[in-house]
Amino acid sequence: MGAPLKADYAFDTEDFEPRAKIVKFAILKKHQEQDAAQAHELASFEETMLPHMDAAHNLARWLLRNEQDAQDVVQEAYLRAFKSFSGFHGSNGRAWLLTIVRNTSYTLLKKNHAVDLTTTFDEEIHTSGQESVSPATVLEHSENAELIKEAMDELPAEFREILVLRHLEGLSYKEIADIAQLAPGTVMSRLARARAKLKEYLAARIGKDNR
Amino acid sequence: MNCEEAINLMDGYMDGELDPITNQEIERHLRDCRACEQAYAAQRALVRTIAGGAVPYYKAPAELRQRIQSSLRDGIADRPARTAVARDSQVLFRRRWPELRTILLGTPWNWLGLAGLGLAAAIIFAAIIFSNLAPMVRRPAADQFLATQLIASHVRSLMANHLTDVASSDQHTVKPWLDAKLDFAPAVVDLGSEGFPLLGGRLDYLDNRTVAALVYQRRKHFINVFTWPAESGTTGTTKTMTRQGYQLLHWVDSDINYWAVSDVSEADLQAFKKVFEDRTARH
Repeated sequence: MGAPLKADYAFDTEDFEPRAKIVKFAILKKHQEQDAAQAHELASFEETMLPHMDAAHNLARWLLRNEQDAQDVVQEAYLRAFKSFSGFHGSNGRAWLLTIVRNTSYTLLKKNHAVDLTTTFDEEIHTSGQESVSPATVLEHSENAELIKEAMDELPAEFREILVLRHLEGLSYKEIADIAQLAPGTVMSRLARARAKLKEYLAARIGKDNR
Repeated sequence: MNCEEAINLMDGYMDGELDPITNQEIERHLRDCRACEQAYAAQRALVRTIAGGAVPYYKAPAELRQRIQSSLRDGIADRPARTAVARDSQVLFRRRWPELRTILLGTPWNWLGLAGLGLAAAIIFAAIIFSNLAPMVRRPAADQFLATQLIASHVRSLMANHLTDVASSDQHTVKPWLDAKLDFAPAVVDLGSEGFPLLGGRLDYLDNRTVAALVYQRRKHFINVFTWPAESGTTGTTKTMTRQGYQLLHWVDSDINYWAVSDVSEADLQAFKKVFEDRTARH
């Protein structure tokens, strides 16, 4: 029982005490090596992933439309990401993290029985909705930020998500396909549908006829 | 290309995700077809508004950043303690339970043995609980203690008219002065061109050793940067803390500890760290 007790002390003080004081306990060496490896892994994780926290929070906030949920999701996503960080060998840390944030967000949305989850059933059928709102109407209100924000908030989750990834994060179709787990060919059509839906909602908010 | 094709490809065209030949075809169509050209212009205007900062970009609040960093650290700190307990308790139950059963069902003269066993179990449990709790109690304490020291040094430097021992914005004056008085050579750079002019340097005493304090100014605020050698292998560590309204930012670079303490915003302090690192990397 004595040994783990000392080990915990050694681990505990490792950060702020000269290493020399502790090394004499040969039995503790293995623990220290583990600690050093963990500290190193954490440092490299933080260096790669912490810069993307704004992106993570922004996506979660738009998906969940609630600050508290968004923060919980981002925190959980970071812990999950850290656990599977050894499996990350890519160069695109942001896309990798956003994938986890997205999945965590959807888990919560499903748990909360969010009704707007899926519109996938008409993915292929309704590819053209663009003509439904007159360009003049769109153009007239294209600078009304408040209106656009409200309309965007009303969209189904997968449309909010793709608009955020494309226009707020400026990601490429390839990155979006990876994050939203879409076939690369369907990114454009989903974006088109998201934009069409947004215009429709805008028009509805203005109260003008769609046709 | 007809209107339907153009409309279907318009989004890819706008996003610059089409091949050059298709791009040209769409351009030609838009030049010739007023209806499609208008639809495209409207869509583009809408998208510009969204991308141009009209809809909110929800940045992560500072407290979330801190919460995540400390939960990542707790995750590591808890790991060894938890596995130790799990292992011990497994052994305890596997080995002790059968014995306990034979004692209970056995003859009365074993009651003394049972009492002894109970006592042993109590001691083992106490040890487990203590070994589990000790790090939780002590680990934050060490961190907190250093943070308290750092803030105290920062505040003292501002109140006692003793901000600098060597007052100079010239890094080539400050650095030799510090080098002569310390057993390590701190990196000193003037960041005046980046908005953080160097005011000078000072000796201070922290964490049981003499350390260098570099003093920078940010508008009307001061930033104390405490530096001293770190344990090897900790390079890359970063840490942020907010205490008593002060921001603390810790990083380790080339086996040197840096603790920046100030009342500027966390963003300013992060910006400071960035330019400081950029400039020291070049030296």
